[in-house]
Amino acid sequence: MTQAVQTVALGVLIGGVYALMAAGLTLVFGIMGIVNVAQGAFLVLVAMLTWKAWQVTGIDPILLALATTPLMFGVGWVLYRLVVVRVRASSPAMSMLLTFGIALTIEGLLNVTAGNYFRSATPPYFAQSFTIGSVVLPKAQVYGFLAALLVLGLLYLVLNRTWTGRAIRATAQNPSGAALVGISASTVAALSFAIGAATAGTGGSILAVLYPFFPASHYDWIAKLLGIIVLGGMGSLRGAWVGALILGLAETITATYGSPRWSTVVFYAVILLVLIVRPHGLFGTRLREDAVA
Amino acid sequence: MRERSVRLRLRALVACAALLVSAGCGGGGQAGGGGGPILIGTSLPLTGQFSQPGGEARRGYEIWRDRVNAAGGLLGRQVDLRVTDDASNQDTIIADYTKLITQDKVDLLLGSFSSLLNYAASAVAERNQMLFVEPAGAAPNMFTRGFKMLFFAQPATAPHHADGVTEWVKSLPEAQRPRTAAFITQDDPFTRPVIESLQRQLEAAGLRTVHSTVYPANTTNFQPIVSAAVAESPDLFAQGAQFEDGIGAVRALRQVGFSPKVFFQTNAPGNGNQYSDGVGKDATEGVLYSTSWSEAAKTPVNAEFAQEYRKRFNGPPTEDAADAFAAGQVLQEAVTKVGRIDQVALADWLRANEVPTILGPLRWAANGEPQSSYMVAQWQNGKVEVVSPKPAATTDRIVFPKPAWP
Repeated sequence: MTQAVQTVALGVLIGGVYALMAAGLTLVFGIMGIVNVAQGAFLVLVAMLTWKAWQVTGIDPILLALATTPLMFGVGWVLYRLVVVRVRASSPAMSMLLTFGIALTIEGLLNVTAGNYFRSATPPYFAQSFTIGSVVLPKAQVYGFLAALLVLGLLYLVLNRTWTGRAIRATAQNPSGAALVGISASTVAALSFAIGAATAGTGGSILAVLYPFFPASHYDWIAKLLGIIVLGGMGSLRGAWVGALILGLAETITATYGSPRWSTVVFYAVILLVLIVRPHGLFGTRLREDAVA
Repeated sequence: MRERSVRLRLRALVACAALLVSAGCGGGGQAGGGGGPILIGTSLPLTGQFSQPGGEARRGYEIWRDRVNAAGGLLGRQVDLRVTDDASNQDTIIADYTKLITQDKVDLLLGSFSSLLNYAASAVAERNQMLFVEPAGAAPNMFTRGFKMLFFAQPATAPHHADGVTEWVKSLPEAQRPRTAAFITQDDPFTRPVIESLQRQLEAAGLRTVHSTVYPANTTNFQPIVSAAVAESPDLFAQGAQFEDGIGAVRALRQVGFSPKVFFQTNAPGNGNQYSDGVGKDATEGVLYSTSWSEAAKTPVNAEFAQEYRKRFNGPPTEDAADAFAAGQVLQEAVTKVGRIDQVALADWLRANEVPTILGPLRWAANGEPQSSYMVAQWQNGKVEVVSPKPAATTDRIVFPKPAWP
């Protein structure tokens, strides 16, 4: 029984962090139809910045998200205005190539400036745990989960309770309708790309504490994140949550009760099954053009 | 997802094209003689998954090249090193070596990093009858293909990597010996045979295996894996770790508050500061690992190599760089002793002779499998000490049992 609680708790904690990382990716896709392959590289970039800042100042890495999140918002905004905007009207393949290019550029720059070394931030609590009964909850995971929850909550409020959020959702649902009532498509797009990058700001700072990383780590992360949003339904925030929890639980449950060798397979098997029954993922919406095809 | 498959397809296309070209050229790496520089070709994983060891290998090769050139070159000719980047990809490395041999017409080859990449690359070299001295690639299936041109420039293959650990466990008085053991390993062509062989050896020595598991290479989440292992309270805990997984497991062990009496990992603890920074500065005490090289070892030229590395790269030299340097030494010795560049004669010479390197003396079986043994090292007081074999040891003391995590 304890083992079951332990397994589920660990799965949920890690799932929350995955959810935050995937949220930005799914948001940008939902609004712009762009799969931002650079999301993983954003994470690693922020993790590196966080690690450096932690080394120099000693400020808690997860608290540093207060700085990295707005910073990445700015980076996202500028990247959109300078680069991404040029492929908005092109085919999805173009935007994927572009963002992949951005990812490679970030990897290359990190290689040159920070060096090809593994890093990880180790604040005093990184190897400590909270113990409830005989259930062990690693402190780093708990703090990371709480930070992720906070940012996801804020994101939910912004999208549902503010005019800006309504504009973003309106554009996602019906771009031409939104334009007709006076919503500037380009501003909304820049905004959502910036928000997407900002989630990688918090996510990256958490990553710095939870896992060792080096410049090429972003391939592993983007693979995970894409799996999550395909399972949840591309463009759906709720889907990202559910997909992330399923990944977290699949990892821990298979590792505990089966063999860790199967954890990746189990997750992708779930994706496969879901896609057979629901081709758009768990919470994906069918578009008009899909009905024709 | 889609972008991946597109890239894969592109790479496959490039590889096919390269194969066609090489077939059209009729293979053959007959390099011109003459008095110009000797061109040595290699393809390293400078980017992607293996970029960390790949970059280190390049450093080792470059130090070796400059040392040879400063001493007048090979056979009186300067050595020119051509390094290409295979992006840690098996298809790319095949294309790279094919191009080095058939178009660049290099005189000699040096190997790449990781068994995965060398497996593919050594086949290209064999087909073209080019000597292939590899600084990494210890997986046992490298040597079951009947290759004649492949030589592995490390002390032994993976299944013998941890022999020294078994020897040490057997040397302990009966009453103190660990009784139970847990084994976890990454599903990697190098680490897995190391751990599986260690498990067999320790079982033969009377230890009871209470847990063993294999996890995939991209695993980041170690709590469940470690929790399952420590539920059995093993006296000895061994992990086949590359790097991140080694850090992840130590963190998880610390988080669940379990410290085994003996803790052994492959590779990861050999990464110096990167390892101690990752697991926590004070958590390294007593960690055992097996290694092909140590800065402290009193092998010929080792001190000069380490000094040069520190001077150039402003940090402690790494095992991967040392292995690459040693591969260079092997090539150099063979060419110097044979006196000309004749690929088959070089291979025959290596099969019959012993070569002194910074890893210690190396010698090979007919299939290119090395016949020496690895050193066992241990973190003590924040430093790495060699604890066996005796001639290479830097201390008589072995920390046992391992103290609890801080």
